[in-house]
Amino acid sequence: MLLAVLIANSEGNILVERFNGVPAEERLHWRSFLVKLGAENLKGVKNEELLVACHKSVYIVYTVLGDVSVYVVGKDEYDELALAEAIFVITSAVKDVCGKPPTERLFLDKYGKICLCLDEIVWKGLLENTDRDRIKRLVRLKPPTEF
Amino acid sequence: MIDCNYICILHLKVEEDFATHHQDGRNLDQQCEDRTVLRYVYYYLARNLSDTGSQGLNPGGGIPTPNWDALADIDAVGGVTRADVVPRIVDRLTSESLNDDVEFHARRLQALKALTYAPSSSSDILSKLYEIVFTILDKVADAPQKRKKGVFGAKGGDKEYIIRSNLQYAALSALRRLPLDPGNPALLHRAVQGVSFADPVAVRHSLEIISELATIDAYAVAMSLGKLAETGGALQDVLHLHDVLARVALARLCHAISRARALDERPDIKSRFNSLLYQLLLDPSERVCFEAIFCVLGKSDNAERTEERAAGWYRLTREILKLPEAPLIKGPNPESKDAVPPKATKEKTRRPQPLIKLVMRRLESSFRSFSRPVLHAAARVVQEMGRSRAAAFAVGLQDIDEGVHVNAFSENNDSLDPDPNENPLADGNRKVSSIANGAGGRDTIASLLASLMEVVRTTIACECVYVRAMVIKALIWMQSPDESLDELKSIIASELSDPAWPATLLNDILLTLHARFKATPDMAVTLLEIARIFATKVPGKIDADVLQLLWKVWFLGENANYAASEYAWESATPPGTALMMLDADKMVAAAGSRNPTLAGALTRLQRCAFSGSWEVRIIAAQALTTMAIRSGEPYRLQIYEFLHALEQGGVQSQFSDMHISNGEDQGASGTGLGALISPMIKVLDEMYSAQDELIKETRNHDNAKKEWTDEELKKLYETHERLLDLVSLFCYVPRAKYLPLGPTSSKLIDIYRTRHNITASTGMSDPAVATGISDLIYETAKVTPAEPDDLDDDLVNAWAANLGDDGLWGSNAPAMNRVNEFLAGAGTDAPDVEENMISRPSMSYDDMWAKTLLETAEVEEDEVRSSGSSSPDSIGSVETSISSHFGGMNYPSLFSSKPSQPTVCNLIHRHFTPCLYKYSLGIREEPPPYSSPALQRFESFENPLAGPGSRSSESQDEERTSLGNPQSGTALYDFTAGGDDELNLTSGEDVEIEYEVDGWLYVKKKRPGRDGKMAGLVPVLYVSQS
Repeated sequence: MLLAVLIANSEGNILVERFNGVPAEERLHWRSFLVKLGAENLKGVKNEELLVACHKSVYIVYTVLGDVSVYVVGKDEYDELALAEAIFVITSAVKDVCGKPPTERLFLDKYGKICLCLDEIVWKGLLENTDRDRIKRLVRLKPPTEF
Repeated sequence: MIDCNYICILHLKVEEDFATHHQDGRNLDQQCEDRTVLRYVYYYLARNLSDTGSQGLNPGGGIPTPNWDALADIDAVGGVTRADVVPRIVDRLTSESLNDDVEFHARRLQALKALTYAPSSSSDILSKLYEIVFTILDKVADAPQKRKKGVFGAKGGDKEYIIRSNLQYAALSALRRLPLDPGNPALLHRAVQGVSFADPVAVRHSLEIISELATIDAYAVAMSLGKLAETGGALQDVLHLHDVLARVALARLCHAISRARALDERPDIKSRFNSLLYQLLLDPSERVCFEAIFCVLGKSDNAERTEERAAGWYRLTREILKLPEAPLIKGPNPESKDAVPPKATKEKTRRPQPLIKLVMRRLESSFRSFSRPVLHAAARVVQEMGRSRAAAFAVGLQDIDEGVHVNAFSENNDSLDPDPNENPLADGNRKVSSIANGAGGRDTIASLLASLMEVVRTTIACECVYVRAMVIKALIWMQSPDESLDELKSIIASELSDPAWPATLLNDILLTLHARFKATPDMAVTLLEIARIFATKVPGKIDADVLQLLWKVWFLGENANYAASEYAWESATPPGTALMMLDADKMVAAAGSRNPTLAGALTRLQRCAFSGSWEVRIIAAQALTTMAIRSGEPYRLQIYEFLHALEQGGVQSQFSDMHISNGEDQGASGTGLGALISPMIKVLDEMYSAQDELIKETRNHDNAKKEWTDEELKKLYETHERLLDLVSLFCYVPRAKYLPLGPTSSKLIDIYRTRHNITASTGMSDPAVATGISDLIYETAKVTPAEPDDLDDDLVNAWAANLGDDGLWGSNAPAMNRVNEFLAGAGTDAPDVEENMISRPSMSYDDMWAKTLLETAEVEEDEVRSSGSSSPDSIGSVETSISSHFGGMNYPSLFSSKPSQPTVCNLIHRHFTPCLYKYSLGIREEPPPYSSPALQRFESFENPLAGPGSRSSESQDEERTSLGNPQSGTALYDFTAGGDDELNLTSGEDVEIEYEVDGWLYVKKKRPGRDGKMAGLVPVLYVSQS
């Protein structure tokens, strides 16, 4: 299960979050845990360099992209490598939408599009589409395979 | 936070659409031609449907959805509540997702997707969803599939075909989000069809569904898959499918089927899936390869089974990957962004390869990666390997010779066509015939492992602390009991100096130590030392409860009796000398003497039962029961009183004296242990009432000068056996020696046994005891933990886990010193429980003991008498009685030295080190099969007496007992005397053994040594007795 996808700005304010199967009362803990993790480790990290953490059997992979940092949390089949796969899809989608590693401003400008992309990538806690073109098509309300 | 203006605008825009949608749904397609806006509408509808508590504006961002109920209150959108909205959305989406119109195709897919967000708690919506999905699949799934390999997702193909493929995808994706309904035969049928679909994501979902179904009913799944699994079938195609998660699902599916018991009579099917699984080891993606390794190793998400793990290690080290005829790697694998393709070329991979070599090579290359997730995952794989390896050693797979050349297997088994499903436990002794093979590889499993571990160790340099933690865990698991732990210890010690380590991670490693300890009890001492590094280096970060739980409370309870050499059954000896030991004085002496180790352990456990987390309290109560059962009086009585008070909750009043002396408030009641303790108390109650009964009976018989009739003896014997059974449920006791009815019963029971030809060892058939201490103490070989399932008494349930733990007890012999160290306040002090343990108990314990005796004066006459001698003045007499009757027992007395901390520690050490040897003495009285391994075991341990300093000059106080006629012997090693009464030895020297005492031999040399001494004490193990 892909428990959470969370995107925060460089100050640790959360821009987007998607929780799946995480009880509402635990979300606050996750938010602060992830933001703290990022604040401690993401300084000076290159764009899209992947960092890893784990808490018991839950894995966390996170990275930085322009002004925003992206965190994904998963367990079971979504281990650190599957999360790396997922975060790669997410960052490339964001880059595609924004055209480059986004500033916070650019990210918010494209906010709606990014939400739609995320919707195509993670669907109810499972990774769905990973193919770039396919995501683009689906976001424009086109079928996954064009005829 | 988020750009609120933008969100508001967006919100309004979407809401406008939504309002239109509500007012006149039919207008939706006319008015909203803008596909992009429509896409938002579906997104918005899905968010409205989802029941995640994220309605309304939330800090998490995303396009906000209205909080309908709140809006209805203020009548903002016409008083519509969420309960009104949801059905309307569901209806609308349902009709859209069933719309066959080609023009509507894309929206149909999105409508179906949005519909899956509907709350799954509603069975109406669920059944509607199932209906929609299966309706779609009925239309599109049965058509012949013409998948074009390698061109998934590419443009082209006829329109109808593509529409069908898209619908297949949408339907299977939706199905995957619905709760699994294994009772539905159509589910399996459609999912199996899905494996051949053109859309890669659809294939992934169907494989995921199938692999989940396979864990429930592997037989049905294997049968439905049928031909798909054959060479050239759809499952083979999945190997080349450009979708990592699809291949992961394939690995899980293969694992589930190839290990299914239900398919035992279909080895052909199993081997087919097994070979698929092994091929996945060559997968270019680490995710898939590692999943395959986990599957081979027998890791499963639920119920870990040691046997399965052990079999996993066997598979990994013994089996061969034989590739099918079709070339394995074909076409480019575009998604290998950080994947390292297997080094082997096509030519090479065609050769059968031992799994272990493949895996090792792959892992080594992964450890060279710069990606932290890859490093982390690789370390995790090594950890899992270690677990399986430990399990293999634990179950004693006979064939684990890691020095065997790996290629030997490949060449032998090649011609044999190995059956991968064979149970290695059944034929674990299958011999590998030709080990020496000339030309082939020089690799042995050991050498492969060594080179891997070298790479793993270098990974400790990674700057990510989580990777390092995983590496340490891997090292802990891969550590063999017979290897030196120095390197691991130094790695850990230097790691702990790094302040970057978060506390949770450190505690996690501690738990790993515990798990390792449970898997390999032989490593108790070394693991404990590692735990101590944690406690001394980073005391602030270690969760005191975790540490206590693992290493003190449980450990203390298990080993206190051993450390203190205080056993209820010690006074009973093998038949023959039994009569001598029946002397009542001995009981008095035992009761009257002070055993600081045990008293200290008791006090600490009592404190733990009050304070700390619930886990600690439970374990403390369990440990106390163990001690109560294993200890003689007065300790048992003391614990009994304590547990009783604990159960009542009235501890404060009962033990007010102790509280005053401790100077702290320990809380009155509410320990919450009542339910747990009552069975323990019941057992102790039974023991005491049976003892009372026996005393009464004895007195009656004595007064009337009557002999015991057979009937009476039988009754007594039955009580004895029943109590033994009861006691065995709580902890291990040597059945042959343990006397639940007290030492006086020994004679009567012996009489009964002799009359009826019952051997004392019949009790060994008892499952709990069969694996119990009596065996374990004398055994060096692998310890098989008790199967808790063997016992079906109610009590067992609560204690099942403990029985397993108890199995480890016997191997902890050298851990005795650790107990002493704990008690002496060394090392692992957790902040709040550890205070000067040694000096306090001697006072509080006295008070308490006197009190308990006064309160239960009628329990045992013997004890009342002994209480008279508990004042310091009478110590002399007690000591004398010990020396005259107790021979080697050597009860240390607190009063013989000053109670200052260092002296006491010293004293305890001095007194307990010989216990080891006393043990070896006792062992020699046992039947031959046990004796020699026991001796070997002691030799293999660090010898606490090897150094001259371990014996102080106070040893002249020691009692000596002659064991019989002088024997001759030869010195095995050089020994340097540590005191006046000790004797220097040179190895090879002939000596005459006068007598033995507490692990020491009093020997005479043939001629005076260089120091002029002729006779003195030397450790038993330094002399071979002829």
